Amino acid sequence: MMRLWVLALALLALVLPAQAERLVSQLSNDSVEITSSFDGERMTFFGSIAPDAGATEKFVTGPFQVVITIIGPTQVRVAREKTHNFGVWLNTDQVQFQNFPSYFHVLSSARLTDISDITTLTTNAILPEAHTLAANTVDLWKSAVFGRELVRLMTEEGLFGVQENGVNFLSDNFYSARLTLPSNAPPGAYLAQTYVFKDGAIIARKSEGFSVRKIGFERFLALSAVQQPLLYGLVCVLLALFTGWLGGVVFRR
Amino acid sequence: MQIYLPIAELSVNLFFLVGIGGAVGFLSGLFGVGGGFLLTPLLIFSGVPASVAVASVTGQVVAASTSGALSHYRRGGVDLHLAMYLVLSGILGAVAGVAVFAVLREAGQLDLVISVGFLVLLGSVGVLMLIESSRAMLKARKGVVVRERLPNQHNWIHGLPMRVRFKKSRLYISVLPVLVIGLFIGFVGSLLGIGGGFIMVPALVYLLRVPGSMVIGTSLAQVVAMMAVTTMLHAVQSQSVDILLAFCLMVGGTVGAQFGASAGKYLRGEQLRGLLALLVLAVAIRFGLSLIITPSDVFSMAVQGIRQ
Repeated sequence: MMRLWVLALALLALVLPAQAERLVSQLSNDSVEITSSFDGERMTFFGSIAPDAGATEKFVTGPFQVVITIIGPTQVRVAREKTHNFGVWLNTDQVQFQNFPSYFHVLSSARLTDISDITTLTTNAILPEAHTLAANTVDLWKSAVFGRELVRLMTEEGLFGVQENGVNFLSDNFYSARLTLPSNAPPGAYLAQTYVFKDGAIIARKSEGFSVRKIGFERFLALSAVQQPLLYGLVCVLLALFTGWLGGVVFRR
Repeated sequence: MQIYLPIAELSVNLFFLVGIGGAVGFLSGLFGVGGGFLLTPLLIFSGVPASVAVASVTGQVVAASTSGALSHYRRGGVDLHLAMYLVLSGILGAVAGVAVFAVLREAGQLDLVISVGFLVLLGSVGVLMLIESSRAMLKARKGVVVRERLPNQHNWIHGLPMRVRFKKSRLYISVLPVLVIGLFIGFVGSLLGIGGGFIMVPALVYLLRVPGSMVIGTSLAQVVAMMAVTTMLHAVQSQSVDILLAFCLMVGGTVGAQFGASAGKYLRGEQLRGLLALLVLAVAIRFGLSLIITPSDVFSMAVQGIRQ
């Protein structure tokens, strides 16, 4: 009997390290530069699942599922609802969401509900609805309704999205994913989180940051509008007066 | 060809911007109005944030009105004395309007006030102008000679105290109605994001009896000065003036305004006023419908700031 236990323990000791996988991943670009002709940018995420440094196994065994979430800088957003009062449609109700992402996309290698359960997906903020929990109302039902509508509106704008075939496995443990950042992607710091799932549980994760920023003339204009507003306004007015005057001179007959 | 707008933070087709600037500029040259009441809704409809649209259009209105005001000035059609009174009181109104704008935006009722404001203002001005201009057109067709101004065609407004002589307009009237008109247009203009030329023109014609040759030039000069001040207010307060967006609209607008001004010479005063009335009414009806018709989406969203 004792021998059997020892054998079992020895077997476990052999099996356990083999389950320790790590994720090696890379982004195609660590900054997206907004120039005057910026019309969105295509990004590629790729990586492979390898045995952990201390593991005895030389190979990892799947099947693995990969989920990548890309989250943009947070904002304060409100969702408003119009109702019909006395023949006129008015905004009568609004819910404010703190720390709401200005951009959120999910890429996955299968249907999210097939990869894991709702609890795991929500606690790791993989589902878009997980970001609507910081509402300024105590009414849970209202915050759920407005949160869902806000996600829908953001999806219509192309700022939110779930692509359940966004991650492709090129081999058993090597994946790649493509994302097109839209031209209205807000500038700021972005975070790409990659989760590796096996049998519904997260076995490895990694986060990488990238930034979307204005460069050159666009950056100069955006900065001066904030730092030198009076001068900026004056230049605007002078430019307008000059353009108007020039138009008059050019077309004078 | 796409161009990225650094303040609006999105990219828009360059030719679309210059195109709508040109089309609205043509109308502004034709009627002597700034065109803001057309351009602002057009930009919002094409995805530009409302605050950026309102602030940038004020810059475009300056440019579009400058060329018009200068060409009227060369023809001697600007009463600078009268315009100065209108501008000074208008600035006071604009400061009040910007303050009310901020309060309404916080409460989420800005859209409603803008829609109702446009409906009431454009609707009433449009109807009044349409009635007057069609009457004038009918009289002209019947062959009745209508003199531009009768010597004793004064109303009670002209009898108020503090009378000032405006030589260019051949008027000797109280400054009180002039100041009230300026104050009102400054307030409404900054609240609704419009130049207010379409209110100014009928106010000068029907309330102050400014001669027709002076109306459009004086109104344009007032719009240039008022909108220049409002652009500065927006740049300092909301920092939402997109100079690139404004410039694209300006280029189209100034070119369009020149063609509009020359096209205006082929039309008579009452015909111009009739056309402007129809245009103003169309915009009013569009805003009215937006209040009554069931919206395609009862939910809407807005950004209320960035929290670190």
